[in-house]
Amino acid sequence: MSATFEPVAGVDEPISPVPEGPPPGDAPTTRRPGFLHSLRKGRGLVGVILVGTVVALGLLAPLLAPYGPNEQIEGANLLGPSSSHWLGTDEVNRDVLSRTLFGIRADLVVVFAAVPIGAALGVLSGLVTSWWTTTDVIAQRFFDLLLAFPTLILAILLTAFFGPGLFTIGIVIVAVEIPVFGRLVRTSVRTIREMPFVEASQVVGAGSWWVLRRHILPNSLEPLTVQLAVSMSVAVFIEGAMSFLGLGVRPPDPSLGSLIKDGVRLMYNAPFFAVGPLTLVVALVLGLLLISQSLAEARRV
Amino acid sequence: MSPRLAHPRHPHPRRPHPRRPHPRGRSRLTALAAAALAAVLVTGCSSAVDELSAAADEPQQGGTLRIGTTSDIVPANTFTNSSETGDVLVGAVYDTLVDYPLDSVEPAPNLATDWEFNDDGTELTLQLRDDVTFHSGRPFTSKDVEFSIKTWADPLWTVQLQRTAAAVTGFDTSDEHAITLSFEHPVSNIFDLLDMVPIIDSESIDQLRAGTAWIGTGPFTFDSWQPGSTLSLEANEDYWGGAPLLDGVDVSIIPDPQAQVAQLRAGQLDLVTGASGRDIESLGNDERFDVTEWVGAETQVYVGANVQNEALSDVRLRQAIAFALDRDRIVEDVYRGAGVPSSLPWPEYSPAYDAEAAATYDYDLEQAKALVEEVTEETGQVPTLPLTYPAEQTDFGAIAQIVQADLGEIGIKVQLDPVEQAESIKRLIGGEFEGLWLLYHSYAQYNPSTLTVSAYPFNADKNTSGYLDAQYQKDAEAAWKQKPGEVSDEQYDALNQDLLDGAFLLEIAILHPQTVTSTNVGGLDQSKRNELRLTETYLAE
Amino acid sequence: MTRYVASRLGSAALVLLLASLGIFALIRLVPGDPVTILAGPDSTPESRAAIRADLGLDQPFFSQYLTWLGDLARFDLGPSYRLGGSVSELVIAGALNTIVLTLTALLIAVVGAVIASTLAVVLDKQWLNNLLAASNTLAVAVPTFATALILVLLFAVQNRVLPAGGTPPDGFFARPDIALQYLLLPATALALPAWAALTRFLTESLQSQLEQPYVTTARALGIGRRRIVLTQALRNALPSTVTILGIQFGTLLGGAILVEAVFAWPGLGRLIEQGIAARDYPVVQVLLLLSVVVFVLTQLATDLVHAWLDPRVRLQGVS
Repeated sequence: MSATFEPVAGVDEPISPVPEGPPPGDAPTTRRPGFLHSLRKGRGLVGVILVGTVVALGLLAPLLAPYGPNEQIEGANLLGPSSSHWLGTDEVNRDVLSRTLFGIRADLVVVFAAVPIGAALGVLSGLVTSWWTTTDVIAQRFFDLLLAFPTLILAILLTAFFGPGLFTIGIVIVAVEIPVFGRLVRTSVRTIREMPFVEASQVVGAGSWWVLRRHILPNSLEPLTVQLAVSMSVAVFIEGAMSFLGLGVRPPDPSLGSLIKDGVRLMYNAPFFAVGPLTLVVALVLGLLLISQSLAEARRV
Repeated sequence: MSPRLAHPRHPHPRRPHPRRPHPRGRSRLTALAAAALAAVLVTGCSSAVDELSAAADEPQQGGTLRIGTTSDIVPANTFTNSSETGDVLVGAVYDTLVDYPLDSVEPAPNLATDWEFNDDGTELTLQLRDDVTFHSGRPFTSKDVEFSIKTWADPLWTVQLQRTAAAVTGFDTSDEHAITLSFEHPVSNIFDLLDMVPIIDSESIDQLRAGTAWIGTGPFTFDSWQPGSTLSLEANEDYWGGAPLLDGVDVSIIPDPQAQVAQLRAGQLDLVTGASGRDIESLGNDERFDVTEWVGAETQVYVGANVQNEALSDVRLRQAIAFALDRDRIVEDVYRGAGVPSSLPWPEYSPAYDAEAAATYDYDLEQAKALVEEVTEETGQVPTLPLTYPAEQTDFGAIAQIVQADLGEIGIKVQLDPVEQAESIKRLIGGEFEGLWLLYHSYAQYNPSTLTVSAYPFNADKNTSGYLDAQYQKDAEAAWKQKPGEVSDEQYDALNQDLLDGAFLLEIAILHPQTVTSTNVGGLDQSKRNELRLTETYLAE
Repeated sequence: MTRYVASRLGSAALVLLLASLGIFALIRLVPGDPVTILAGPDSTPESRAAIRADLGLDQPFFSQYLTWLGDLARFDLGPSYRLGGSVSELVIAGALNTIVLTLTALLIAVVGAVIASTLAVVLDKQWLNNLLAASNTLAVAVPTFATALILVLLFAVQNRVLPAGGTPPDGFFARPDIALQYLLLPATALALPAWAALTRFLTESLQSQLEQPYVTTARALGIGRRRIVLTQALRNALPSTVTILGIQFGTLLGGAILVEAVFAWPGLGRLIEQGIAARDYPVVQVLLLLSVVVFVLTQLATDLVHAWLDPRVRLQGVS
């Protein structure tokens, strides 16, 4: 029986597709050895390899890239793939391979900085507010409000404030992740707090903070990790979508999304252009999804 | 000219069975889509695509021309010449008093049949047609001419030729079919004004500003406008010049040039206005499309400099930038050769054209570096300069990055600042660019005074750069306050010198506008105002 | 049930009220003054003041807000500042396009998901499951704008079988067969991620149903697997799918912005982009509020349908 579809008793929340903590009545779960171990085999391993490869390519870009990301090479106008330019050159004479490798870095910032920041803020606000009923209600309504705007509408709106750029993409992602993690933590808190062992520890005089740290945080870690992987893959999409709508990184700096946009624009003249960045985006998203799937599965076992 | 690079035009080989399911992935959905499509086709319903491409070979009366544009009308800016859709609308719905042929500035009769100056050029009497009615049915009279010119002179409408229109101080409309305009001084570009001012209907001016009706005397009548989506026009069967061949015109506003070109390729559009230089080149190589280049309605691409910006207030820095622009590369790489690099705006037929002066700021890195060095020695490091440009037009993106690299060569850091088209027009009119900007301008195809007294970026009294120079103002006034055709070469030389010395607007190249149509479109023409002339246009069968 | 419904309705109303206030304030914080845009750069302070008064922008914040709420209640939103036409007309025209597109996508996703997951469970073939898993992952991992462009390239440009974009010239209802063809590509591009999510969910859901005791009993009675899936399991699996459907609808609306950009589809996504660019407050305000209303209503409907289908929720739902 999967825990995914069971409504969690005592929680007047709509059922979300994300696993929401252990079912009530279960023994307090400690970290099963299988959870992170699931990444050492099968789908999880594939995911780790995919993500690892993309990350390594991005980090090693200065060593691997034959040219600078914004270096305009004289006479190399929109060339096809060749031994000197593996992925060809673009319309302003830049090496597409080099731009692609450096472009990964913008996405890495988004995935490994913006998402964790958003997640941390969300977890923190979820933990703190869910302890008292008043703050809980306020926070929940606030999260609802944030969730109510489709991501891209939020993106367009925030870009009107801050202007286009990597910073704005980061803000958008933080704004999108706060309610996601806030609600997730809140569900865990509410569920775990009702459990016998927590009540018991409170009876013997444990303070709120102690309960929070000792029971709730560890018990929420697994669903949070799964959600983190999902959110990271969503972040790659948000970067791509915003760049596609012209709200992305400022030219001339490359990002995978803006390179796909350029490639699409030059589809008829240079069909090879978008292949590299598109492959990387798919690999990154796919890797993160596989990781999240195998983690989620490991939790259910 | 260097040989063009050949690129495969069919990046994806045609597959023999278009509806065969995709071998991997998405199979189910493709199959579903194919099934739905097959169901539609088998049941004998019509295919949307086939309906679109049902054209044959013979010229014919009728049909609706489908135009794709990238920018929409802003009703309050109807007359600012700043949107492609607006240009189609104004060109088709309104008439002007006189009409320039594409290749000269000799006025030809239109709503005005004949005209005469008084001796000192301060009065112009025009005879008007007496058989013209507005689309509302009201007859056209001299009062409408007065109203139209006064509307242009009203700052409310922020029209570029406002200053020229305001120079018309007296209107004698005692004769319904003749009007005498009087001026405080002779106006050398008065016919430019008469070629550009559309004759509008005074009764519906509020509807015009609200965007609910545009009523003129032109070959097409306004039918409907869905903001951000479509504009549709119908043939004016009672047009005084003879009814147009087309039944109507449908304009689709498609902000993404890529989507526009895709629709042209898919046969959903007959004509597109927003294709990039590179798309135009590849469409021109395709036998299904024609590319027409219009000589006589030039557009100039330029880098503007806000001289109120602290760094840019030093003319040497602006001149350094002018020397550092690799104009040949921009024309070659971005416009695929469809332009002429130049330091001055004038096309060859212009009375102000001077080949030598136009080469003043030809690419010269050494000189540019020397000037920058001079400046930095005095005032220290040049701060990073913002370069603003409209993000929608893909050509600007490429030029901006080339300019950024060019200026990087001489030690000037540039930050690119893409903004929405509407925002860039607003900043152009209001003079609100922070540092450098990249845009098109026009009007050099007219009498030179139209540019120097009226165009937003050039107007000697108030321009986007905030460049006010006594000498420039004096020379611009002098060339302007003359009877048409009587401005001397020396006066134009002086103006050219002012423009080059001031270096507040750094020309990159003179471009010939290009229209891409599918091959079944015939009889297309273009006005000097850069508006399509659709009276003789037909769709061949 | 009544108490449950009342509690859900109450919190929905609260969110809407807060949202309207938040949106109203937020829009006014965006840099750029609509009056300057409207009046033009050469305008005098007097004419700007006149325009400001005309638009009611000289009133105190809360009085502006209350006026707006009143306008909303009467759905008389006046003219747009800059885009032309009345706000209501603009929003209705855009909403029709977006809703038709989104609903078609939802339909494709749901029908596709039910067919795919039922087939997978009924046939229970390894190759089919693998194929499904692969296409599923791809549908999630390829960005929507890339799928959309690939579809245009394949079906509209290389093989000219479907339109490359735009809405049907005669509207959606005059020629449904033509309209369907205009809808097919954008709706498919939009539907793919939702289809993947629904298929995955429904398949797992069906499989877990098959492990239930009643299935074992039915099997023991000699009822075929196919019949059990089609009659019982599918029905039991649907309630939980409804909840995920609600979430997918929101995602679809968000994705519609991208698809509208690729297919030149004049819907709400394009309207909001233009509205923000032109600082057209009345248009943007209504659109933002509309997106909140849609979200709240979808959530509400999802919860209520879920409660209706699953008695446990409505009985235990109020704690």
